[in-house]
Formats: sequence, C-alpha cells, structure tokens
Amino acid sequence: MIMIDLLKKYNYISFTLAFIGLPILLFALGDFPPRTFLKNAISLVTLLAFSLILGQFFLSRTNNLTKNIHKFKNVIALHKAIGYFVVGVFFLHPFLIILPRYFEAGPDPLDSFIKMITTFESLGVILGLIAWSLMLIIGLTALFREKLGISYKGWRVFHGVLSLAFVIIATWHSVDLGRHTNITISLFFIIMATLGSLLLVKLYIVSNKKKELTDVK
Amino acid sequence: MSNNDNKVSRREFLGFTGGILSFAAISALGKEAHFEQNILKVDTNKISSEELSVDVLVVGSGMAGLFAAIKAHDAGAKVMMVSKGRLGSSGQTPFAKGIFSYDAAKEKLSIDEFVATVSRSALGTNNEAYTRQLAEYSKARVEELRAWGFFDSPLYNAAFSKPMQEREIPLIERVMITNLLQAEDGSVAGAMGFSLDEEKVVTIRAKSVILCTGAGGFKPNGFPICDLTHDGSIMAYNIGAKITGKEWNDGHPGSATNAADTFGNWHGMFEEKPSTTTVQINHHLGVDLNYAAYASGNSIKMGPPQLMSETTVAGGPYTPEEFQGAGGPPQESEEGERKGPPKDAKRPPGMSASPVGGSSAGLAIHKSEGLTPINDRCESTIKGLYAAGDALGSHMSGGIYTQIGSSLAGSAVQGTIAAEEAAKYSKTRALPEISQEQIATIKAEILAPLKREAGYSPRWITQTLQGIVIPNFVLYIKKERMLQAALAYVDELQESHIPYIKASDMHELRLAHETINMVISAQMKLRASLMRKESRCSHFRLDYPELDNKNWQAWINIYKDKSGAMAFEKQPFGTWAKA
Amino acid sequence: MSISNISGCIGCNTCVVACPTDVIRLDEKTKKAVIKYVEDCQMCHLCRLYCPVDAITISPEKSIPVVVSWG
Repeated sequence: MIMIDLLKKYNYISFTLAFIGLPILLFALGDFPPRTFLKNAISLVTLLAFSLILGQFFLSRTNNLTKNIHKFKNVIALHKAIGYFVVGVFFLHPFLIILPRYFEAGPDPLDSFIKMITTFESLGVILGLIAWSLMLIIGLTALFREKLGISYKGWRVFHGVLSLAFVIIATWHSVDLGRHTNITISLFFIIMATLGSLLLVKLYIVSNKKKELTDVK
Repeated sequence: MSNNDNKVSRREFLGFTGGILSFAAISALGKEAHFEQNILKVDTNKISSEELSVDVLVVGSGMAGLFAAIKAHDAGAKVMMVSKGRLGSSGQTPFAKGIFSYDAAKEKLSIDEFVATVSRSALGTNNEAYTRQLAEYSKARVEELRAWGFFDSPLYNAAFSKPMQEREIPLIERVMITNLLQAEDGSVAGAMGFSLDEEKVVTIRAKSVILCTGAGGFKPNGFPICDLTHDGSIMAYNIGAKITGKEWNDGHPGSATNAADTFGNWHGMFEEKPSTTTVQINHHLGVDLNYAAYASGNSIKMGPPQLMSETTVAGGPYTPEEFQGAGGPPQESEEGERKGPPKDAKRPPGMSASPVGGSSAGLAIHKSEGLTPINDRCESTIKGLYAAGDALGSHMSGGIYTQIGSSLAGSAVQGTIAAEEAAKYSKTRALPEISQEQIATIKAEILAPLKREAGYSPRWITQTLQGIVIPNFVLYIKKERMLQAALAYVDELQESHIPYIKASDMHELRLAHETINMVISAQMKLRASLMRKESRCSHFRLDYPELDNKNWQAWINIYKDKSGAMAFEKQPFGTWAKA
Repeated sequence: MSISNISGCIGCNTCVVACPTDVIRLDEKTKKAVIKYVEDCQMCHLCRLYCPVDAITISPEKSIPVVVSWG
C-alpha cells in the first residue's frame, strides 16, 4: 500500500514536471522578444493550457502504465477538471491576443479582432479557427454527454477521434503562427502530441484486434 | 553594432587638413560597396504600363492630401489620390499630435493681432496671407476631422479612410510619383511613377495636379521623415516651377544614445491621441541647440553637447526679445510637436540623455520650403499645378516655427484651398493629350537605374551625402568656406555619381529616385544658404551673424534657367512671385 | 537592429502598407511578413502599432552606421 502511494506520488510529480514544469522552463529559457507583463502572462497561460491538453492523453484509458496504481475514477476526474479548465482558457484564446490592445495605443481592438479572424490567406488563422471550433464541440459534448443519447463506448470513440483531430490541428496552428512558441517549445508540443496520438491509436488497434479475436472464437 | 563605432567626432574631423579630406573619411563610413555590378532581381523587360486619367490628381496622402482630395471631390471634380506610402500612415502626418484651432469666440488675440504677432516672431519672413488663412479656417477643418473620428485614435488611417470611402475616391497606395507631365503650353498634364509592389509604371493624365508630398530631409537619424525626400519640389523644379525657402532649417533635437531611435526620441508621443492647440506664439529655433553644441563642443571634451540651459553660450541665433524665454527647447504643454524630452521622461543614466541638436537634418521649418506660390490660392508658377502643406513654400509661419500645432492645421487649410482652385481650374480644361513619345521617354528615365549593368548603390550615395551635409557645422552653423566645400562634394555626387545610380528591384528604384531628389535638394540648400549673407530665424551664418534688413527683406526662389542650370532670385517679403 | 522580430504573423499585409519606408514585405511562399530591407527602418513603430495581433518587436539600435549632426 505504501509502495503504491509512493508510485502515485511519483506519477503526479512526473506529470506535473512534464506538462507544467517543462513548458515553464522552456518559456523562461526561450529567446522571446521582450513584451509587457500582461503579454508574457497571457503567453505563459496559453502555453501551460496547451501543454495540459496534450497531457490529457496520458490521463485517460490510453495510458495503461498507471492503471494498476491509480483508480481509474480518479484519473478521469482529473482529466475532466483539466479538460473544462483548458477549454475555458482556449475559449478566450482568440480574444486574449487583442486584450492588451485595450491598454495601449493602436488600432481598435474590435477591428483588429475582425481583421484577424477574416485573414483567410493565413493557414495559421484557418487552422486556429478549425481547432477552436473542434474544441468547443469536444467541450460541449463532454459537458452534455448524458443528454446525447449515445453509448459510452460510442462516445469514447467520438471523443477520442475529435481530440486527435483537434490536437493535430491545434499543434500545427501553434507551430505555424509561433507567437507563443519557439523551436524547442514546438518540438516539445510535437513530441507530446505524437506520443499521445500514438497511445490513442494503439488503444483502438489493440481493442479492435481483441474484438476480432473474440469474434473468431 | 555600437553607434560609437560610426561617429566621427568634430575634433577628429577638424584634425584633417582643410576639412576636405575628412569628407572623404566620412563618406567611407558607408558599408555599401561603391561601384559594382547590378544584380537584378526583376525582369526589366516585363515591366508593364498602366494609364489612368482624372480631373484632379492629388499626390500624397497626409493631412494636406486628405483635404485636397475630399474638397476637390466635393467641388465636383473627378479626383484620384496617389501615394508613395499609405493614407495617414506616411510622411510627417502620423507623428503630429497637435492641431491648431483658432476659435474667435475664445481667443484673446484677434486674427489681425495673431498675424501681427506671428510676423514679429518670424522677423518678416512669413507670408501674411497664409498666416491669416491658418487662423481663419483652422477651426472649420478641425471640426470636420472630429466628425471623421480623427481625435479618437492615435492612428490616423481609419479616420482618413472614412471620408475617402464615403466619397468613393480612388486611392492608389505604394506608387511613387517621380515625374510631372507637361502639355505643350507648359501647363501640367499629369504625373508618372512606378509601383513598389508590382513591376509597373503608372501614367496618370490629369487636368490639374495638387502636390501634397510633404517636405523632406537627408533621411536623418532620429526623425520620422526617412520617406520624405522633397519629391514634390524636385519634380516641380524639373518642369520649371520655382522653389522657395531652402535656406531654413528645422532643429529638432535627438537623443545622444540610440540616436536613430525615432520612437524612443519622442517619448511615447506617437501613442497619444491627437488634440487641439490654442494661440501660443513662440520663436522655436531649435537651431540654437545646434549652436550651443557647436560653441561648447569645441572647448570641452568630445561627446554629446550639454543642454543649452546648462551651458551659457555667447552669440548664436537671434531671438526677438518679445519671444525670449519661450524659445529654446520648448516646454511640453499641450504642444503637438514637442521639441524636447518631457521632464518626467525616464532618462538613461549619465549625460548621454542630453538632447542633441539636428535630428531632422535637411528639413526646413514647416511650410517654409517648397513650391513658390503666386497667390494666396496655393497656385504654383506652373499652370494647373498646385501644392499644399509642407510641399508648398507658403511661409505660413516664416523661417521659424511660431504657432504650436499650426503644421497639421495649415496642411488641412491649404489642402482645402488648393482643392477648390484645382477643381475650378479643371472645369475650364479638357483632358490634356500626352504623346506616347513623352511617356516612353519618361518611362525610360524612371527605369534607368534598373537597366544599368553596374553603378553606385543608392544607399552608398545617400550615406555619402549624409556624411557631407548632416554634421551641424554645415547647414546649421553656416559659414562660407564650409558651405563651399560641402557644395563641391555634393556637386561631385550630382555630376559623377547620380548618372550611375543603380537599382536591383522596385524598392531600390524608390531609393534611387529619393537619392536623386535629396542630392538636388542639398545643392539648393547649400546654394541658398551661401546666397543669404545674413542671419535670420533658423538660417544662421557664423560669418554674417546679424540681421540685414537692408538687403534681405526677401525670400529666395530657385528655378531652372533656360540652360538647365540652377538659378536664384530674390523676392521681396510681402510680394508675390510671377508665374 | 531596428525592426527585429515578427512572431505570430497572420499575413494580413497591414504592416507592409503601414511602413513609411517599405521595410517589410510578405514572403511569397509562407505568406507571412518578413523584414526585407532592415537598413531602411526608421524605428517609427507604425508597423507595430498597426499590427492587429501585435506581432512585431523593434529594438532601438540601427542596423547600419548612424550619421548624426553633432560631433
């Protein structure tokens, strides 16, 4: 029992280090242009929130490594809490970029916002808009899962596939626009997104294979 | 790269024999190679041509250009605006934050008294007709600007776009006009230039042209005029117009550290919303700071000069007694064009924070240099050609900056008057015919720098020119020997280097034409300064430090004589030039 | 070195036209703003002020030798 407590602790520490500590470190070490406190704070919150999104892959059924240590119920509770938090942060994400404009000279913030979301020449903006919409769907369907009337298994696939699409598009968006990222942070995002996606894909392949095996029997 | 690597101290400078040798030393500052092959980045055979036509063509998109376009449209003319930059975001307009509004109901001074006081401060150098217009019409223009939202944002593009879009006035941005077209009778017939974004030469036939091209300088460091190179004056001069006011000097100070940091030098003022100013007549020299630097710099160790208030310097430019105390580095107040750092500004440690004179080298006082007007209606000596704002040598406040915020207001007022005249004139004219031959000749002239296989880069010529004319002992603290020496160098650039100026793309083509204009402007400034053997307002001759009211109650006009040489004439104060 | 960094560019072209001295251009391939003629930057910050997403950073040093009027 003590052993398991210790392992639990190590798990939480390593999760915190990987998805909170590391991005903070990379942000602190990165050669970012000097910006105001507010802008830096927004950048850091954005980085952490996105990092936590990537961490969600590891706080789910995909992560078999910890299933003997943690009660799955607790893992899912954490997954949900983080999920609603980051959806909240990223709901505001498009507006946060123009927020500092309210405190400084420059174009009208609303005009800037409209200009930004209508610049369709930009891949980054389009990816962002798609990712933002996907995220809203993911958040809302998670919130109202029970009212959707699909089976839990069906919902899991739905949630997994949408999340996979979201993470790929969102990571691409962050790397393409690169306001809050540099090469190391981009690499960190890509690696974590790839790992998480592979875990998810593996889960589906494995469970499908199991299903096939049972079917044969 | 440290700025110090590139400065040459005056002591070092004068250490050379004569001063002639040192010009060469400064010229060598430029890191651009001198004569070298032109590696083209555009296909010169694929440069297209576009032809447009309009009643009134407005060149320039600052405050004067805005009013010129709007008011000519409202007077019933078909208008088009063409600009090297962007509406409300190029030239000096974006950086001017104070606009004078004379409210007869509130001001203690009557308009007559206002004009008289300005004339006393300007020592007669102002043209009273234009001084009066400023007071008469400024309030009406300010109210129009207010309705367009001008006072709601520190950035002017949106407010300027509103009346333009409401009237659907065509606006061509990022096209540099280099040449004016002339009809057979000598009247203006349009303009030609090239696009920065497309490989294209643009010809615009017009019944009338209003130049709102602003003033210019030698792309000085620390003042936001590196896109202003007297384009309007030079293209008008080239077709025979008279140019005035070249001997005056703007003396805005800059910072000793990061001298080229325009934004920093203005201490956040660019981020402020504009506001109005009331009557406040000064004698803002600026050039007195240059004198203090010059006079004390020789006797103390090298380095940026002290503030004038810290060092008492004898002699120097004359400020009329009535205006003493208001001169020198002006107080902050609600001034639109703050000429010194505010007292509460965060200064870097050490004396390096001292303001140093002459960050606006090559620029004259607002509205004092440009096309010579032949009447109070902004008409130039060329038929059909009008100018407004800093492109017009209206001498609205003379050879000295007298009324805070008058620059923006004057541009708005003059833009309106020029527009009304140009619209009226264009109704009497048919669209001028221009031969394809003339167009082809000018097109070849415009594109010549691109077609050279080898030559001097515009940057190298510009940097060489800067080394010759920017140091404060040339055009700020003037004396015969130095003016002659500098002129010899500038003439050399004109004769032996400009004919070989090259450009590898459309951006460099712009630099090339700007450089050509700056070199001609430098010749004008040096020659006019040599001619005016007295000191008055912002023109200070160390060898003629006194006012000479007997000989110099006059402006200097510059024009091309029949042989194509630069010619000069005096025009007595209070008279109009002849067309 | 004058205008020094553009990060988070959405390719809207606003800074390209806002620059009085034509320093910035859109890259044809990436469709993002690039600092093309940095020597001509006059550090007036109009590009930064007009940028809708505040992507531009400018440092106060000039990238080429500075000629000043005092000694």
